[in-house]
Amino acid sequence: MEWALKNLELIFDLTMTHLWVSLVPLVIGSVIAIFLARIVPRRFAGSVNGTLGALYAIPSLALFVALPALIGTNYVGPINVVIALSLYVVASMFFSARDAFSQVPAPAIFIARAQGMSPWQRIIHVELPLAIPGLIAGLRVAAASTVSMASIGAVVGVRNLGYLFLDGFQRKIADEIVTGLFAIFVIAIVLDAGLWFLSKVLTPWSKKSVQHA
Amino acid sequence: MLSIAEIWQWLFDVTNWEGRYGLVNLFFEHMTLSFSAILIAALIAVPIGVAIGHLGKGEAVVVAISSISRAIPTMGLLFALVMFMGIEFRGFAVTLALVIIAIPPILAGSYAGIKAIPQTISQAAKAQGMTAQQLIWHVELPLSAASIIGGVRIAYIQVVSTVVLAPLIGLGGLGFGIIQGLALRDFAQVTSSALIIVFITILGDRLIGFAQKLTAVKLAAVEIDR
Repeated sequence: MEWALKNLELIFDLTMTHLWVSLVPLVIGSVIAIFLARIVPRRFAGSVNGTLGALYAIPSLALFVALPALIGTNYVGPINVVIALSLYVVASMFFSARDAFSQVPAPAIFIARAQGMSPWQRIIHVELPLAIPGLIAGLRVAAASTVSMASIGAVVGVRNLGYLFLDGFQRKIADEIVTGLFAIFVIAIVLDAGLWFLSKVLTPWSKKSVQHA
Repeated sequence: MLSIAEIWQWLFDVTNWEGRYGLVNLFFEHMTLSFSAILIAALIAVPIGVAIGHLGKGEAVVVAISSISRAIPTMGLLFALVMFMGIEFRGFAVTLALVIIAIPPILAGSYAGIKAIPQTISQAAKAQGMTAQQLIWHVELPLSAASIIGGVRIAYIQVVSTVVLAPLIGLGGLGFGIIQGLALRDFAQVTSSALIIVFITILGDRLIGFAQKLTAVKLAAVEIDR
């Protein structure tokens, strides 16, 4: 506790970097995942899912340092971390996003088509809004693991809350490690609550929805 | 940018395979750490998950544990345990951290597996006079095996991803090449080690996935009967 109070400024800076390194991949990853989930035809869905599953299995540190050799980025710095975390978000959201789109009631799609909507209009104005609860549920799962996984970026020189683990361990300050754990946990919970709230705001019809047979 | 030739050269250099921090030794250390933790976690989590699914009590606990656990950074947990237990007990602390990481997914998988069994099946088994024990061993466990193995698969992914960090607290495992290589700026070592980890992890994931497929029981016939 004492350590945290003395280093509020450092903690604040690291928290900001941490948020940045987590939010950017969450935005990029979820957009790609939603796009892929809607666009990949059914017969390829299995193989895309298999590839993403394999990607998801790769330990984050290994992916952080494998990327420079594959795409020529620098070994140290946030770019690899952001790319790797985006890939994990895509991998973890793809399946649930497909599920969310398949839950859209078929009559809604027929009606949209009958009204003369183009496929893109239908996706943006009908399917996407109706799929929101499922999409955000998937995003909430991805958000929690992204925030905690981002801390490993500290090993490759990203100064986020994971730095508190490395520094606290080296200097034998247990409080510093506990502070890092606590701060990351709080970020994850705040983000989760925020996404839950966003889901409620974006689907105002959900609370008064009539149960369809 | 690193060339493939450099990685090749590093991988085929015999000196990188021998000795205390050679790849062979690191590989076995990696596997021992991962599998002992998953085994211990399974021995704890499967019975509890099955019991919760069977009794239908305490489901909220499983859901809470699995969602909270996602928000806990494994690196912080690992470092905190080593620090509190003392660096001389780090081997034990790492195993404990890995077990804590592996329990939630296995628990969720076991619980979900039992929960997904159609009521008609367990009722039919009871109607035939099966005892609770028979029901669990002959009906519920076989039918939920694929789901339990699915939980183990997620646990494996989480555990291996943490084992890669073990060199940071002075232990071995295949992450050693990454940590040492980064410190020495030997990027051939970093990349080669990363590629080996990627290969082995995906291979393991596929093997568990194969076991999952083998144990999957199709309940289609039952659905039609209903």
